[in-house]
Amino acid sequence: MKIHMQDWKREVLASRTRQALPILTSLGFDLNGTTIRAGASDSRVQARAVQTLARAYRFAASPMMMDLSVEAEAFGATIRLSDIEVPVVVGSRLQDCSEVAGLEVPGLQAGRLPKYLEAARLVAGAISDRPVFAGCIGPFSLAGRLFGMTEIMTEMLMDPEGILALLEKCTAFLGDYLEAFVATGVNGIIMAEPAAGLLSPAQCDAFSSAFVARLVRRVQTDHFAVILHNCGNNGGQNRSMLSTGAWGLHFGNRLDLPAALAELPRDVLVMGNVDPAGLFKMGTPEQIGAATTGLLAATAQYPNFVLSSGCDIPPLTPAANVDAFQAALARFNAGR
Amino acid sequence: MTDFLKQIATLVERGKVNARSPYPPDLKGQEGVDEVTKAALEAGVSAQDVLEQGLIAGMKAIGARFRRDEVFVPDVLMAAKSMKTGMAHIRPFFQSGQVKRKGVLIIGTVAGDMHDIGKNLVAMVAEGGGYEVVDLGIDVSTEKFVNAVAERPGAVVGLSALLTTTMGNMEETVKAVKARFPATLVMVGGAPVNAHFAQQIGADGYSADPQGAVDYLNSVVA
Repeated sequence: MKIHMQDWKREVLASRTRQALPILTSLGFDLNGTTIRAGASDSRVQARAVQTLARAYRFAASPMMMDLSVEAEAFGATIRLSDIEVPVVVGSRLQDCSEVAGLEVPGLQAGRLPKYLEAARLVAGAISDRPVFAGCIGPFSLAGRLFGMTEIMTEMLMDPEGILALLEKCTAFLGDYLEAFVATGVNGIIMAEPAAGLLSPAQCDAFSSAFVARLVRRVQTDHFAVILHNCGNNGGQNRSMLSTGAWGLHFGNRLDLPAALAELPRDVLVMGNVDPAGLFKMGTPEQIGAATTGLLAATAQYPNFVLSSGCDIPPLTPAANVDAFQAALARFNAGR
Repeated sequence: MTDFLKQIATLVERGKVNARSPYPPDLKGQEGVDEVTKAALEAGVSAQDVLEQGLIAGMKAIGARFRRDEVFVPDVLMAAKSMKTGMAHIRPFFQSGQVKRKGVLIIGTVAGDMHDIGKNLVAMVAEGGGYEVVDLGIDVSTEKFVNAVAERPGAVVGLSALLTTTMGNMEETVKAVKARFPATLVMVGGAPVNAHFAQQIGADGYSADPQGAVDYLNSVVA
């Protein structure tokens, strides 16, 4: 459904109650009795999982599956599917920068891209009470998957021009992919750029944010919002992330969120950051309830805060922990 | 002699591999760890001093700065890359027994997990910390870890995982290693891992960063 996302953002900012947007999809596969492998391969299975979660939880928006292998696979990378884990890239597509010139920017029919676009179209048509956010990888993280994460970290120092050329190709592809998501009718994208969290603020500017900003300029409109996720940032990259122009910034649990909220402008949605592994996956409902309540109290003065997980909530997370997260939010809102 | 050692340590910290390396830009065209280590050994500086006061000192300095958020992952990896070129010149002295490493670290990413950057960082910093590193790679089965310990008794085992679903395999490996070699120390790390989890699965050590892993090794290896 078409939603004016600037208005949606204004409503979130003006809301008396705190909104939540945890990055949650894998639980939908569990609830539907299917697997992540099936969801990563079948548009309808994936769409049904998102719809199941939308029925089960009253969150501010519905995020779609965060599969950070689908774009690299389109470039020719080998991936490995699993029933209980999101697909992962195996090995490196590129051995060195001399191969970048010959690397073909894939079309939108490559690999599983059509399945993800179709899943987005199905969900956008089925959910009408909240925005739907598709998911994609960020340009630096995609380049890292193609080049090898360890290798890109040194090559960006040894041969920055070569890595920038690779980023140009990643960005050209992601621009086309994002425009295709716009055409599906979803209301925005959550762009995951975790590898940028390993960089210095200046490196993040040059090798990630500059390219993310171009993508934001290309697709962000009144009807399509970009949320930039960087779970490695521990505060030093806040300004770099802000420079991308994304309407929402999503942070991992390394970050002191109240401190970030104090630093960032009040018209940018700041999202995070309940520990996805230590609490959502491995904690008890009591622990996640207490941590959520604590975070809500610490951020109560900031209207631009949106409660979320610090990253994609891992597979096999107990539903009771998501329930506890939602219940803590409800208790907080009841007291407002 | 001291000048050589200080120079090697500084070049490691700066990530200057050799004269051909364009990084760092302000040292372009100048000799790197490769050339200076070779020159130091040829000038009669002891290999043990080159190792400890040059290569290890440089890695220790960058590790400490990384912990203080003064440098970042690319800087540490470049330092490690430069350290490795120096280590290549020391290798014959290891083989002859003239230079001794502090101990052995067997490291790998656990079964089902294909992520390597955290494991690589710890492996490189541990090597730069004076340890022989047996890197088993990624997606390493429990059996492979156990066999590696059998081949290198007395080694410390390091397990890495990035996925919550593979953390269970970490526990399996810890238990299997401990069952066959009760005295073997196992340390764990990785983004979703914490000290509580390490304790829960029976691991002996946990570190949130590479330098912490070396500190742990230094604390347990005599």
